[in-house]
Amino acid sequence: MNTSADQVIRLLSLVPYLQRNPDADLTETAARFGVSSEQLVEDLNVLWYCGLPGGLPGDLIEIDMDALEGSGRIRLSNADYLARPMRFTPDEALSLLVALRAVRELTGPSDTDGVDSALAKLESATPAADATPAVTVASGDEHVRAALAAAIDARGLVEFDYTDSGLESSVPKVAPVKLIVRDGYGYLQAWSLERRDWRTYRLDRIGTVRPAKGRRPRLGEPPDFGAGWLELRPDAATVTLRLAPEAGWITEYYPTLAVRPGESAVEVDLLVADPAWLRSLLLRLGPGVLAVSPPEAAADARQAAEDALRAYRAG
Amino acid sequence: MTQQKSERIMNLAICLLMSRRFVEKAHIREVVEGYHGLSDAAFERTFERDKDELRHLGVPVETGSNDPLFPDDVGYRILRAAFELPAIEFTPAETAALGLAASVWESATQAGRTVSALAKLRAAGVDPDPTRLSAFAPSVGAREPAFPGIWAAYAERAPISFGYRGEVRRVEPWAMTSRRGAWYLLGHDRGRDAPRVFKVARVDGVATRIGKPGSYRLPEDLDVAKAWRSLEPAASDETALLALRDGRANDLRRGGSPEPDVQPVPPGYQAYRVGYARPGDFAAELCARGADVLVLAPDTLRQAVITRLEAVAGPTDERGAEA
Repeated sequence: MNTSADQVIRLLSLVPYLQRNPDADLTETAARFGVSSEQLVEDLNVLWYCGLPGGLPGDLIEIDMDALEGSGRIRLSNADYLARPMRFTPDEALSLLVALRAVRELTGPSDTDGVDSALAKLESATPAADATPAVTVASGDEHVRAALAAAIDARGLVEFDYTDSGLESSVPKVAPVKLIVRDGYGYLQAWSLERRDWRTYRLDRIGTVRPAKGRRPRLGEPPDFGAGWLELRPDAATVTLRLAPEAGWITEYYPTLAVRPGESAVEVDLLVADPAWLRSLLLRLGPGVLAVSPPEAAADARQAAEDALRAYRAG
Repeated sequence: MTQQKSERIMNLAICLLMSRRFVEKAHIREVVEGYHGLSDAAFERTFERDKDELRHLGVPVETGSNDPLFPDDVGYRILRAAFELPAIEFTPAETAALGLAASVWESATQAGRTVSALAKLRAAGVDPDPTRLSAFAPSVGAREPAFPGIWAAYAERAPISFGYRGEVRRVEPWAMTSRRGAWYLLGHDRGRDAPRVFKVARVDGVATRIGKPGSYRLPEDLDVAKAWRSLEPAASDETALLALRDGRANDLRRGGSPEPDVQPVPPGYQAYRVGYARPGDFAAELCARGADVLVLAPDTLRQAVITRLEAVAGPTDERGAEA
């Protein structure tokens, strides 16, 4: 969509918004509309020339340019005929519904009713409401999320049963700060009291959550859990797997550095931060892995397979 | 220039919105200042483009005649009831949910559309509150290269074609879903004359439009939820008897039931009965746990696990089974 189209959509919302919010602040209004203050001033300069057909002075929308330039306040009038915003476009409605469905995947039972009723009201105002998009996040048990959210609000400590990506079990004791989603999985971001560092825990691997005793340390801001968080881990090493076609699905499930399709096999470069994760991946793929480079990266998995086979022979 | 174009389109929209009757083109040319000083041909071209653009933005511009005796004297109007967002009231719990929505999308385009939708709600007096649910930071990504084109076609109901597993597919998009970070499209596959689900990450390149927006209808009895259920793991219909090492594999323990009477179980292990659906996937899942999980029964599953483990242990190991 070109910038003029975006601008017209915005202007049609700005006029009713500014009539409903007299003396609105320029910076705050710009933030709410997702544009810079400069862009908002340009928008107002367009509206200055808009109005009822005929274009006589009394027909135009009025904006107090002195208040705008002097104190950054927006006073717009003489536009009673644009008192309500336009209906949602299908793209807007569907994008907003996806966002709310993602919210619903993360909240606990006590907040779900509000999200559901908001969704129902928006669907009633949505064109094409018969096939709106669905969202599924692997976010574990809703009671786990509710217990964590309550502890975050109360600024408390918790401990819980946890199975990590290498399938190791532990009982971390943490100060929880946020529930987040990356690439379709929900995570708890928390300060680990044992490790004295920030940690993330996958929500679908958290068992029972219990309140824990102790004093919550004074915490700064947790590190940014941006889209590229996994790639940025400094201790990660590159491992190349040569995979038979039946194991090629991993390229759709795990972040990869490079994928090189071949005739009968595909080569995949993975960033591995956790040796236990690679061990369980290689064990899971079994005969689907044709080669591992460097070869020593497969040593853990080979050892684990030999241990298991020994246990089978003993049994 | 952008500013002049925006101004002209706004004035056209206000002109059509203010009239109860259809406004004829000659009158529009007279009263909307942006059309002054244009030649006949330039006016025709500009007006047609502006009208199409308004419709593209979702403004319902109607065409019709005021006089049934002269149906060829066409004019244009925007009915207020079709243009304005209906009144919606939100409770504080609902505005808290809306307050989180603005920051969910990682895709800049869809984030922009969400902000635009929220701006319309604000213009209607709704005040989304981002502070109440500040413990939550949900997100939805859309990094698949084919996503933007497929999403736009889905929103506008425009048929598309794309390469998929080495074949060209012609599809009428019906619905989309994001599951565990991956986008899927449900649509009518014209070549197969049947509904199909496509994983957007598997689409080759980008989709091409093969028809106009709104050129097909969704079936009356469409059951979207049923189509998405096919993407979920099958319900477990078989059970295995597993030996779980003490203190390990707690996730399998949670989904299973203990079988304290089963013998023999290796020392340091406990027997559990656990349900599963696809034997191949379940064997791979058990192998990932190494010696923490041993299969006691059924024998086919036990053999499948041993065969897979042998592939990982490699040919250099003599295994000493015959010793």
